[in-house]
Amino acid sequence: MTKESSRFADGRFIDPSVGVLSGEAADQKVPQDQDERAHSQGAAPLDLRDRPPEAPEDEGATYYDRPVLKEPVWLWAIPAYFYVGGLGGAAAVLGAAAQAGGASRRLVARCRWTTAAAVVVGTGLLIYDLGRRERFLNMLRVFRRTSPMSVGSWILAASGGAASSAAVLSGTDGLLGALGDFSGAGAGVLGMPLAGYTAILLSNSAVPAWKEAHKTLPFLFVASAINAGASLLEMTPLDEDEVRIVQRFGTSGRAAELLSGLLVEREVAANERTARAYKEGVAGSLWRGGEALGVISLVLGVLPSTGRLRRWASGITGSAAAATTKFAVFYAGKASARDPRTTFEAQRKTLAKR
Amino acid sequence: MATGFFTDTTVCIGCKACEVACKEWNQLPDDGMSFTGMSLDNTAALSASTWRHVEFIERPMALSEQQTGLGQFSWLLMSDVCKHCKSAGCLENCPTGAIVRTEFDSVYVQPDICNGCGYCVVGCPFGVIDRREDDGRAWKCTLCYDRQKDGMEPACAKACPTDSIQFGDLDELRERARRRVDELHERGVEEAYLYGVDAADQPGTDGLNAFFLLVDKPEVYNLPPDPVAPRKYAAAGWSSVAAAGIALGLAAVAAVAGSGRR
Amino acid sequence: MAECHPVGFRWVMEAKRRGATIIHVDPRFTRTSAVADLHVPLRAGSDIAFLGGIVRHILENDAYFKDYVVNYTNAPAIIEDDFQDTEDLDGLFSGWDADKGEYDISSWSYKGVEVAPSAGQREIFSAEPHSERGTTAGAERFDFTLQDPNCVFQILKKHYSRYTPEIVEETCGIPQELFLKVADALCRNSGRERTSAFCYAVGWTQHSVGVQYIRTAAIIQLLLGNIGRPGGGIMALRGHASIQGSTDIPTLYNLLPGYLPMPKAKFDKTFDDYVKFNESTSGWWSEFPKYIVSLLKAWWGEAASFQNGWCYDYLPNLTGDHSHMTTVADMADGAIQGYFVMGENPTVGSMHGALHRKGMRELDWMVVRDFAATETAEFWREAPEIARGEVRTEDVKTEVFMFPAAAHTEKDGTFTNTQRMLQWHHKAIEPPGDSRSELHFIYHLGVRLRKLYEDSTDLKDRPLLDLTWDYPTKGPHQEPDAEAVLREIHGYKVDSGELVEGFTDLKSDGSTACGCWIYSGVYKDGVNQAARRKPGREQSWVAPEWGWAWPHNRRILYNRASADPEGKPWSERKKYVWWDAKVGKWTGEDDPDFIPDRPPSYRPEERASGLDTISGIDPFLLQGDGKGWIYAPNGLLDGPLPTHYEPQESICENPLYGQQCNPARIEWKRKDNPYHRAHGDPRFPYVITTYRLTEHHTAGAMTRWLSWLSELQPEMFCEVSPELAAENGLTNGGWATITTARGEIEARVLVTRRIPPLKIRGTTVHQIGLPYHWGSRGLVRGDAANELISFVADPNVSIQESKALTGNIEPGRKSSGRRVVTSGRPVEEAVDQTSRDKAPAANRPTGGHGVEAGQSEEGEQT
Repeated sequence: MTKESSRFADGRFIDPSVGVLSGEAADQKVPQDQDERAHSQGAAPLDLRDRPPEAPEDEGATYYDRPVLKEPVWLWAIPAYFYVGGLGGAAAVLGAAAQAGGASRRLVARCRWTTAAAVVVGTGLLIYDLGRRERFLNMLRVFRRTSPMSVGSWILAASGGAASSAAVLSGTDGLLGALGDFSGAGAGVLGMPLAGYTAILLSNSAVPAWKEAHKTLPFLFVASAINAGASLLEMTPLDEDEVRIVQRFGTSGRAAELLSGLLVEREVAANERTARAYKEGVAGSLWRGGEALGVISLVLGVLPSTGRLRRWASGITGSAAAATTKFAVFYAGKASARDPRTTFEAQRKTLAKR
Repeated sequence: MATGFFTDTTVCIGCKACEVACKEWNQLPDDGMSFTGMSLDNTAALSASTWRHVEFIERPMALSEQQTGLGQFSWLLMSDVCKHCKSAGCLENCPTGAIVRTEFDSVYVQPDICNGCGYCVVGCPFGVIDRREDDGRAWKCTLCYDRQKDGMEPACAKACPTDSIQFGDLDELRERARRRVDELHERGVEEAYLYGVDAADQPGTDGLNAFFLLVDKPEVYNLPPDPVAPRKYAAAGWSSVAAAGIALGLAAVAAVAGSGRR
Repeated sequence: MAECHPVGFRWVMEAKRRGATIIHVDPRFTRTSAVADLHVPLRAGSDIAFLGGIVRHILENDAYFKDYVVNYTNAPAIIEDDFQDTEDLDGLFSGWDADKGEYDISSWSYKGVEVAPSAGQREIFSAEPHSERGTTAGAERFDFTLQDPNCVFQILKKHYSRYTPEIVEETCGIPQELFLKVADALCRNSGRERTSAFCYAVGWTQHSVGVQYIRTAAIIQLLLGNIGRPGGGIMALRGHASIQGSTDIPTLYNLLPGYLPMPKAKFDKTFDDYVKFNESTSGWWSEFPKYIVSLLKAWWGEAASFQNGWCYDYLPNLTGDHSHMTTVADMADGAIQGYFVMGENPTVGSMHGALHRKGMRELDWMVVRDFAATETAEFWREAPEIARGEVRTEDVKTEVFMFPAAAHTEKDGTFTNTQRMLQWHHKAIEPPGDSRSELHFIYHLGVRLRKLYEDSTDLKDRPLLDLTWDYPTKGPHQEPDAEAVLREIHGYKVDSGELVEGFTDLKSDGSTACGCWIYSGVYKDGVNQAARRKPGREQSWVAPEWGWAWPHNRRILYNRASADPEGKPWSERKKYVWWDAKVGKWTGEDDPDFIPDRPPSYRPEERASGLDTISGIDPFLLQGDGKGWIYAPNGLLDGPLPTHYEPQESICENPLYGQQCNPARIEWKRKDNPYHRAHGDPRFPYVITTYRLTEHHTAGAMTRWLSWLSELQPEMFCEVSPELAAENGLTNGGWATITTARGEIEARVLVTRRIPPLKIRGTTVHQIGLPYHWGSRGLVRGDAANELISFVADPNVSIQESKALTGNIEPGRKSSGRRVVTSGRPVEEAVDQTSRDKAPAANRPTGGHGVEAGQSEEGEQT
């Protein structure tokens, strides 16, 4: 490229020596290379099609099969956070229940530490996914009740506070211990939405695979959170009583996860293309894998042994099932957003009902 | 005063002056040079750095009141833009307050606040707003907030040679748009209708501040037939979360039950 | 129009809102078709058949506007008895001179009269000038009942009698029903109450019968009474800003400012000869001496006197055809040393880029002025023949000077648009770096040349040294004051320096100076009239205070025709200019284009001369007879009436006549300019047409370097129908190779129904559409479509045929390094070239006007 044209390599073609760079998008950062610019956009990549540029009527009109919606820009860190955050929420609740039910203090402490760690890791994952990481504190700049992400940020922050103080104070007695218990109870209360709000985070969107599962997705996410929490705890050194608690908790979660998975399938079955998003491609494989792992972990989890081997086996498969499920839902959403017909199909029906 | 766009697609000639005027005024970069094979549209979609996008729809169906030697064929041209919904999914989803509603009733992203969480992207039922990966923030049409501040109309409307893009006071625009539909109906263009003109027409968004006159199904223009701001179905979801949360509590209690070793 | 002139198309859409019907005729379904009421696809190159069909339809159905036709056109005029039509001679008119290879036009004249073309003999080089303007310039015999078989009306009727709807269908591929819809719509919209307008982009002229295309439209408009009336006319939408301006104050080799002909060395030997051959005894051109004398006074000031013929012999003289293609061919033959290329990119924008590059390689020097180093500026290091190793950069001897140019926002000046309106543009910003305006370049070049020669006593240097070259300059770069130039163009009185009122003030006695008579008035009262910007809503609907239109700020030419013969408006609805009997003057919404106090009832006496010959019902002042010429008895080289001829390269035989092509077309028969077979060349079975897209401007120098425009059309592509794609295995978004005998290019494929195959005489004809904006430089690159096009031209104005040719298309990138015919192995296949012409035109001497291309009749020129 010549010197002259490289001066305008940002594609704006404003010569700063004669033009004022004060437009609304003047400080939008862009690569200095044309080709990179072409491939740096969030939308699905352009592909040349081997067919006349005219929509075939039989499949229903679209605009050259281009997506209506923007594919979610989130990366792997977001479903990973769903897993971690859910795990933390479930652990907090279990911790609080154990605390209230007078179960092993060791278990209570372990639950608190699990939650505290989950919040730290989860926050890290969330910040990692931000476009402007240095501005992560802006999340707590306002409280916007219409935004599950805003609500969730506050829940996460509060959970973090409660769980970590509870964890730190786990070993203490007296006033500090009471404060710890109070925090633990608070974390438990916050753990309930923490385990499930991420489902709303997804379903409060235009993405068909998520929004059309908005009624059942919270159950799946909470169940999966229980599974995740229990599976993790299961792999820690536990005494017999603790094993029983965790096993019961985990079994209920695993069963519920499988069941609510079916409910989600049923909810999205209202629209064939949306259902397809959960059946096909990466998301379909993950979904089926999650189910299989769920069944295995459930079976392993109810085996009468308290041995480490069984616990590790069911813990690993259970964790894998919980994580896989969240990734499956995440990628089903991405796939459904890419296909314009999936968007149209559902909306045609709701429109007809009006 | 609430202002907005009325885009009359029946007079659009696809000159793309709006796209270029928008980029020039707002100092948006190009999106790269790639041939798409999609009629004469090489921009493909609205994006973080394309805030007006002209669609070229080659349709195997004739328009009423048009005859061509090609038989059943017409070429629909349409300049797409952010709709500045009354119930705006992006704004309602924004956790940081970066997206606000302005005094012109438009939806505006404040670039100095946006932290690029990407939640607006999934909240928009029209696929308008997008995060620019290199920049990290979300961008979209500002309805030329800076120009409006100075009493000027947005750059795209200013540049549109055929008044396909009309800018103005929304009440007046709606009236003008309805008159235009009547006029077209009288001429035999029965298929003309308004998309998103008000809340009655599009309850999911409570009406669009940038609405359109179309002559075919919304899908043909890559518009959702029944867009809904996500908040509108959030309540059921929250109920489920509450129920699930309680179930979680019960599961925990049940798990612990009978284990008292105190 | 929406494609290439979207801003002007605003008013078409406004008309549509008010109920106008928009008809679009184009081989492709374009952005214009998208909003038209009726789109008519036709075979590229078949327009005269289509328009001729409309003429026939009008005549057969008596749908012409009788009062208009009888009074304002030459329809009643009687033509010479020995005139023979194409009907009699199977596609030729009478008078073909086989030795010269051109028409002797004497048999086309009005009976007993020799008629002068409207603006002198500028088009004709080899024929003796028809200078006997001592006779009456108009026809002498008429039949106002239009029944005489030798009257123009009957000749017209006979000429177009075979242009039936069936023939239109066979020739153009337009179904009869669709054709009749157009014809009926036009007829219905004619008369006292209604008018139709024709708009065309200049691609319409780019045919070997280009001038006749426009003539056919003019015939229709005259028959329907659509000239000189509001809502009528024929609008040429020019390819660049101010192309109209560049013919008014011309960059054309054969014109002086204001359509005064360039002197011809052979005939116009003295000032008196020049005036004698170009002055008309009747009509407005009888004022000719005033304009040429004022021009010479403006150029040579005090040096120009009556005694020295106003320095007439300072003017360069024409010795032959120096039009674009002839010059380039001369360059290729080594006959030209230097070349200025200003704001043009001929290796991309003009026909046969390879031949242009070959010509440039033979130059000693070349000057390029443009925004960027275009393909033309870089021809010596970036070209297919260099990439193929057939030409080595070190062997190119041409010295190339690249001057960066200022954009229109960086300089003062005017744009003249198609309706002859001048609009001033003000400099907004200093041009960057070394960029300068054209005015700066030319002025300072002149200053330096004069400096070089200032001590010369050689007579040949007097024209340079005597020039009035004293424009005031301003600013750090000594930019000449553009308004001072405008002032000189407007004209002034030599003794006092006082501005003239307008061209009616000009004198032939040397007391006035005027740079361009038709622009006189643009600086009226010392005000830059072109810079006026009064909004339309603050003035009358004609908006005379926006900019300035020549002549005399007149917005519609020949507007006398908007009133009936008695001087009353044809109708209240179409009221424009009328005779006010009370004041004894013409008046109206616009400046009346007529002698202000000449009553409608005035009829000239037998012996009248000059402006006195103009009768009260002669709206077409610039014609010697004051009438609209349905039939052109003079001034055209290829026939008095438009006739359908096939393009130089066609997919079929001429369905109408034995004569295949325009017999008077100019060919360049050279090894480096091979033609295909006249028709049905099996190697090149498809019709190719070229065009522009909204997103780019012509050869791309203004757009391919801009990211915002480049991203909108990033690659060269070809448009093909799904049928052709299926036939040839072309895939949408894939590659194709397109070839002609001249060269080959590669392009992306866009499969679209917008370029439909047509049924021509029972067979399917496929057309390939090629935009021509790309070249090897800029942000976006691609092959140049014009590499495919040959040198062949219309005889009247030497316009190339770039909108209809034949070629082949194959899938994939199969070019052999983008072969061009000018280098390497030429195409040797013998091609039958005789079938284009029938006897007696068959054995025409080669070359234009009987001249072998590359040489002019006067021998070698520089």
